Amino acid sequence: MSTGRKLVFAVFAVVLGLCIGSVVVAAETLKVGIVLPLTGEQAKFGEIEKRSFEMAAEEINGKGGVNGKKLELLFEDDTGKPDVGRSAVEKLISREKVPVLTGGYSSSVTAAATAVAQQFKVPFMVTTGSADKITESGYDYVFRINPPASEYPAAVVTFLEQVVKPKTAVILYENSLFGQSSSKSFEEDCQKLKIDVVAKEGYHKGAVDFKPLLTKVKSLNPDLVYMVSYVMDASLLMRQAKELDLNPKLFIGGGAGFTLPEFHKNAGDAAEYVFSAALWVETAPYPGAREYFDKYAKKYKEDTEYHGAEAYASLYVVADALKRAKTITPKDVRDALATTDMKTAFGPVKFVSYDKKTQQNKIPTFLVQWQKGSLETVWPKGVADKKFIFPVPKWNERK
Amino acid sequence: MDVFLQTLVAGILKGGLYALIGIGMTLIMGVMGIINLAHGQLMMVAMYITYVLHLAGVDPYISLFVAMPALFLLGCLIQRFLLNPLLKVDTILPENQVLMTVGIGMVLTEIIRFIFKSDYKSVSTGYSNATFFLGNISFSIALGISFIIAIAFTVAMFFFLIKTDIGRSIRATAQDKDAAVLMGVNTGRITIITFGLGSGLVAAAGCLLAPVYYVFPDIGGPFTARAFIITILGGLGSTVGAIFGGVTLGLAESFGATYISMDYENIIGMTIFVLVLLFLPGGFKRLTKI
Repeated sequence: MSTGRKLVFAVFAVVLGLCIGSVVVAAETLKVGIVLPLTGEQAKFGEIEKRSFEMAAEEINGKGGVNGKKLELLFEDDTGKPDVGRSAVEKLISREKVPVLTGGYSSSVTAAATAVAQQFKVPFMVTTGSADKITESGYDYVFRINPPASEYPAAVVTFLEQVVKPKTAVILYENSLFGQSSSKSFEEDCQKLKIDVVAKEGYHKGAVDFKPLLTKVKSLNPDLVYMVSYVMDASLLMRQAKELDLNPKLFIGGGAGFTLPEFHKNAGDAAEYVFSAALWVETAPYPGAREYFDKYAKKYKEDTEYHGAEAYASLYVVADALKRAKTITPKDVRDALATTDMKTAFGPVKFVSYDKKTQQNKIPTFLVQWQKGSLETVWPKGVADKKFIFPVPKWNERK
Repeated sequence: MDVFLQTLVAGILKGGLYALIGIGMTLIMGVMGIINLAHGQLMMVAMYITYVLHLAGVDPYISLFVAMPALFLLGCLIQRFLLNPLLKVDTILPENQVLMTVGIGMVLTEIIRFIFKSDYKSVSTGYSNATFFLGNISFSIALGISFIIAIAFTVAMFFFLIKTDIGRSIRATAQDKDAAVLMGVNTGRITIITFGLGSGLVAAAGCLLAPVYYVFPDIGGPFTARAFIITILGGLGSTVGAIFGGVTLGLAESFGATYISMDYENIIGMTIFVLVLLFLPGGFKRLTKI
């Protein structure tokens, strides 16, 4: 009996010790909850973003942290599925008691995750998830550093208007929330530019054979083919377009997959001259942009791109808000985020409300082109490091 | 007209590859009466073998001769040590071998992810995107070769099953296991060989698919589903049926993509699946009697 009671005491003491221990630890660090796809099909993007978050945390903590406290990043894997994303956010809020959340890659997952954050009234600073509706739901605890999907092609639109002047276009998109949102808004852009959208076709990601779809596109003979695709669908689309000798005046990718090194690796010479919208380029006139790019390349022996830059900048924005917050509670951190006004490697960050959107960051976008195996910034003229190659040679005119 | 012909060509060539994926599953299903839900994952393993050999400079068509024996062995081991022991265990679930294959599929995917990470890999060769044109119709050389190889394997399997002793034993086991045992067939050994053969055939499909597609740990699942549809279409255990099933699915997906919408690619496959189950249970095998 007495040993049993001793045991109970012992367990109680240990539990109490753990509680005090964790309180002490909590006082020393500032927890930041980050939701990213670390496994599953979008893991490549999750990896780039995770590494960039870690780079930013090292830098901030190396300079003494935020108000003397170190940042502690708590990563949760959303596996690219909305339901997993929901429970990841619930776990971070209820178990880890994080005062602020960031991350969020795919639109579908982010839409689900931000709804949970809003419900628990914990601020969520969205890094990527770009479907327009995420900042159109009137959530006062949700902020977004990334422009909405409808604004991705801003640079594409001016390029089409001033240089290409196409008459007809075909839009191909992955039938996900991101794909639908982007393709719909590009269709509206086309209407404004008086471009006739002769076909708008969705597909299911992971398809083996796009040739029937591309055959149909070929028979319509459009001036422009605009594609919203993740990385491997993007490369298969280009490879098979080459196989079918499909020759529009130009191919443009709507961000996402077309800017990754894997796209060029898999598509090979079929990737040449393909244009893509990009939200960030290392040549952009932002303080720290080039430094971030070089540091990443040095550390991981791999090139980064806009997804990494926005993750890197996200943590700086969150750290800035934590620094200015009166107390480290979700409410005060939210108020601090709302008054953010800073310059980051991803561009100026300020959360504004316009049209139906609330607490949305506005940044200019860029146009990039694959030239001789490297991604060059070609538009707008002020930041271009290479001249765009247009008109693009036909497949059979290439070497 | 060009659009129609190009769609037809694309469908048939893709169908050849599908057939090769389906044959292995139909063989296993015919003999053991279970669906191998790790089928696509076994193909994925073969694709990674192709990828590793490709890094060492080996052509994907040569790596057929490495990947097929390797997967034959893996299949035999799976049947011998993971599936056959389940026959002796009494459980409330009659189909616990099927559940086992689901688990095997997951384990294979995660092992590959552990080794190679969630990175997209490519096996690009000189002929990955090579084509020749007949009029305005483009033919993919890589898919053309894989179509010929798929037909060759099917014919070889057909004669193997009809003419050889092991083939006859496999058919006997498929028709009536108890009777086969009474006739002196070692059915335990036959199931091991069958699973090995099925894995080896899907390995061939993996080697042929790798240069025209990409390699990723999670790509097994959708191909398992397609193999299952092909098996039902063709009829259980029928190798010739698998060719018809594969080409039918390939054509349906292609024509659906051209004339309806590529959005519905998966719906089209599943619709055919349901229609066959309703109106032609037993698949094409019923029509041909082979």
